[in-house]
Amino acid sequence: MKIYSALMFTSSLCLAGSIAAQTLTVEISGIKNDQGKILLQLFDSNENYQSNKAYSANMIKAKKGIVSISFNNLSAGEYAIRYFHDENDNGQLETNLFGMPVEGYGFSNNAKADFGPAAFDDMKVTITDKNLVTHSAVQY
Amino acid sequence: MERRQLLKAIGLAGVGAVHLSTPLTGLAKSINMPSAENIKLVNAKNNFNKALQHDARLIGFANMRQEYLSQPLKLEGKLPTDIQGDFYRNGPAGHERGDMRYLHLFEGDGMVQGFHFENGQLTHQAKFVKTSKFIKEQQADKFLYSGPDSRIDNALPVSHPDMVNPANTNVIAVGDELWALWEAGSATALDPRTLDTKHTVNLGQNSHYGDKLKGLAFSAHPKIEASGDIWNFGLSPTGHIALFHLSSAGKVNNVGLINARYKGGMLHDFLITDKHILLILPSLKVDAEQTGFFAQISYSNDIPMQVLVIDKQSLTLKKHYELESGFAFHYGNAWEEADGTIHFDASLYKTNHILTSFQKLMRGQPDDIHIGAKTVLFSLKANGSVHQQVIEGDSEFPRIFASKVGRQNQYLFTLAANDNPIWNDTINCLDLFSGNKSHFSYGKDFLVEEHIPIAMQGAEEQGYLIGTALHIPSKRTCLNIFKADRLNDGPLCRAWLPYHMPLGFHGNFVAS
Repeated sequence: MKIYSALMFTSSLCLAGSIAAQTLTVEISGIKNDQGKILLQLFDSNENYQSNKAYSANMIKAKKGIVSISFNNLSAGEYAIRYFHDENDNGQLETNLFGMPVEGYGFSNNAKADFGPAAFDDMKVTITDKNLVTHSAVQY
Repeated sequence: MERRQLLKAIGLAGVGAVHLSTPLTGLAKSINMPSAENIKLVNAKNNFNKALQHDARLIGFANMRQEYLSQPLKLEGKLPTDIQGDFYRNGPAGHERGDMRYLHLFEGDGMVQGFHFENGQLTHQAKFVKTSKFIKEQQADKFLYSGPDSRIDNALPVSHPDMVNPANTNVIAVGDELWALWEAGSATALDPRTLDTKHTVNLGQNSHYGDKLKGLAFSAHPKIEASGDIWNFGLSPTGHIALFHLSSAGKVNNVGLINARYKGGMLHDFLITDKHILLILPSLKVDAEQTGFFAQISYSNDIPMQVLVIDKQSLTLKKHYELESGFAFHYGNAWEEADGTIHFDASLYKTNHILTSFQKLMRGQPDDIHIGAKTVLFSLKANGSVHQQVIEGDSEFPRIFASKVGRQNQYLFTLAANDNPIWNDTINCLDLFSGNKSHFSYGKDFLVEEHIPIAMQGAEEQGYLIGTALHIPSKRTCLNIFKADRLNDGPLCRAWLPYHMPLGFHGNFVAS
């Protein structure tokens, strides 16, 4: 069903003359230091976000202030990004004993966690026939 | 890092964050709330302040935004010169901002008071705890965050409980700091001399725990042994309970996590003996149909109270008892005999109606606060049987001499509401050895706050009972000092503040 929908969507885009190869860039601000990396995941649907099935992933060295990083060759559709600042560079999001994050994190569209992770609808951006830039401030 | 590893690593972000979805579920989503939410808070302010014009008793719950620098107090009677030190108290004081008022008594910004005893003189000062929430809302001059019961339109998102920590429930001395306590987040460190706020306490900092303890719930009722060691718990929204053992300086000795499977949503107090921790789980459940965190907490006669007996050394569960249904905010003390029998007392309610009474009070519709909370003395036998004895009369804010925490105590001090149904007006002392009772009634003109026994020489018999009361007609708060074993004689000394303080919750004395 999902493949069918995707094909139909791609087909309609082709009819409109678009080429599915856009870039989604996220500009992350408020990074508090240069330690470690920023690790990111890209999701292409709410279903996959809920089940932690990332479409793609990426990373960039942390830099105090602002960094930008891109996901390339994306077809048209809705996407959402989540990331965290892996300050101790161990590849894991550090949490406290209750499972709450203790490293900085954030979401595309500058969506915010509010007594729970941000909702896909709040995080999502829509790629059409242009490259897109989304902004996010790290929540520590 | 391989792509697969990266995907897996970030996947934990979801797992961690999911746990955030249940704490203070009443806060839930505050984005896109209907404007009716704001109207409730505006109406609460209007209704309360209108009622205050006709019911002077409500002054104890009026909003406070002023701070008080240290000043000497006028004394009636002679202040015992052997009392040297500081009596600190904490409670919600900032109930309103702009045109809005919080809907529940437990939501206001905490204000810490310090009474300094030195050479027969007394001074008083009071300052707000400058939490991150307080600072942001003070700058904005309005509420920015929803409270547990008070939802506001366009509230800022809350990614962890300390963002809305009002630090409004208790204050203890830890090392060279004071810690202002809430029950759903971190302690807030203060300067004990100036009451200035220093920082949010990260318990595991500079230890092998690192950030593993950062932001955990640290209850407002730590138990401090005679050795100075501090024990406490923190309730996770998943029903797990963290247990903390700290040195007197606040250094973490040990931390454990018990899967209590507790679904009551709120756990306020606990007890220790010399060997064990008692987690006493009341007959509460969360009713998701209701709106608001405290409104969601419901009482069920079908849920027995449970006592989890946990070994203090290993922090593991050793025994489990079931009691009749009940609910208590507070417990006085626990101790155990050589045969393993554990004794403890509770100020026990047979309903949690008091939570809604606090909501009505905040709207200027005072209700009877004490809905039959009575001291109940429990004995948990090693063979699993349970005995209980109900002591007639109201009972709340139970306290014992600090030297008796976890050991057999002779005296149990409590408050009662006899002539003034909206708050306490009487102090009681129960001699657990003889069964004798003594009391002092302040009368209906006073709203009486927690009184604590202090023993400068270490002996209960030579101790004092000290506590504050708000005198309604003169709109002044006073600090009262009694001989602990002669409450009937009335106060030895009364120190008058030239102003009133909002009614608070808990405090402690720190000897010089």
